[in-house]
Amino acid sequence: MTKKTPVLFSVGWNACINCGACVAICPQEAGFISPFDTIAVDRPCDIACMLCEAICPVTTITHELVPLKMNEYASSTT
Amino acid sequence: MDKQYDLVIVGSGPAGATVGRFAAQAGLKVLIIDKRQELGAPIQCSGAVSRHALEEVGIIPDDEFIQEPIYGFGIYNQIGDCTTIDYRQLKGDEYGPEKGKKPLGYVVDRRRFDRYLMTMAERAGAEVWLKTEGLGYTATGNGHCDVQMRRFNESLTICTRILVGADGLQSQVGKWAGLRTHIKITELASCLQYVVDQVETDGLLEIITGHEWAPGGYAWVFPKGHGYAEIGLGVIPTMTQQNAQWHLKKFMEQSFFQNRFKDARILEIQGGGVPLASPLRVQFADNLILVGDAARHVNPITGGGIHTALSGGYIAASFLIDFLQDNRDASAKNMEGYQEQWLTALGNKMWKLYGIKTEIFHNQNIVERDQQLYATMSDYFSPYSEYKKI
Repeated sequence: MTKKTPVLFSVGWNACINCGACVAICPQEAGFISPFDTIAVDRPCDIACMLCEAICPVTTITHELVPLKMNEYASSTT
Repeated sequence: MDKQYDLVIVGSGPAGATVGRFAAQAGLKVLIIDKRQELGAPIQCSGAVSRHALEEVGIIPDDEFIQEPIYGFGIYNQIGDCTTIDYRQLKGDEYGPEKGKKPLGYVVDRRRFDRYLMTMAERAGAEVWLKTEGLGYTATGNGHCDVQMRRFNESLTICTRILVGADGLQSQVGKWAGLRTHIKITELASCLQYVVDQVETDGLLEIITGHEWAPGGYAWVFPKGHGYAEIGLGVIPTMTQQNAQWHLKKFMEQSFFQNRFKDARILEIQGGGVPLASPLRVQFADNLILVGDAARHVNPITGGGIHTALSGGYIAASFLIDFLQDNRDASAKNMEGYQEQWLTALGNKMWKLYGIKTEIFHNQNIVERDQQLYATMSDYFSPYSEYKKI
């Protein structure tokens, strides 16, 4: 099975209505959450299912790809 | 670690506060924690609840939290045909605004309502800590568990006999226990609603079905008190290429209600994920149970969750009171009794509703599906529905 490229999510806070739907749909383990009760935006998501982007009622979650090597490096140093 | 409790409840919404209130009334030592500074906020709910649901758990309807009394329903199909179920007409001697008569239900202000329920729990003897976030739990093997938390930046560990996860649809407690809490994208409605001025209502909860307006869900117009209304909808993301905001704009500007909405002024914007899903198959673990949205105690047809949270909270409290008074071992095997009681009282009907809902939305023929949903909603809210108290 091909490993997905991890992504780093970004929340457009201006449009975010703090509805929590992105956290509700997120299949990550406990704690993948920001201080503003959205999905985490400070570390890569290696599942990259994009369900959080799909559920957002105001489409304010975006992502950028994180190269696998960089993600492994980040994991090993945190 | 300086304190020890019978129950630590994570989340002070309707479910958590109800568990806390009844447990404290029975003499249990209860701590409720909530990470928020203001309960009920941000609002992720329309606030509709039946009078029966409140009275069933000893909540006297109070002006502190009621925004508007409700007397029935208007169910619309896609082109605006309406099934009206107005209890002021169906049972006029019983329901109405006049003295001696009563409403069928209410739209409540969730900020006030949740605070009111928390106050009831506190007055019953529960301790409540706001700005306190649960971080994890560890079963200690001596019939207790340690709950790690952070309160105003201070790290704490609190010992309790039972941990109750009442932390909503975004529940972290269920994940701590390794329960299968993940919800499918096909069963979580993406919802958005506006509180508006200058839209007239008449004491009815209005529900608008039809793929054209709310694919996978429905739209609503609810009275909000003081001349305000809330207009909202929920959509299933896999059934549309657009977001809920786009659909709500379309509904307000293009539906058969466009003239009614033409002067609407938006006062508040609210949203949330609403599960149109089955309850969790396993709602318990060692030293732990889940209640309310965290256990997905949400009506899969309507998405309503206040009644099921209150009832589920009462069932959980009743179970835990007996359980702890009997001094039983809090292993997962023994905690299963909670789920069995819940299934008997409420859950089996919710599973049946889930079956009905699934059958509708598995129909790939949109015209037929729209007809089925309209008919099901009309039946569901009829006075003769077997589900009317869910």
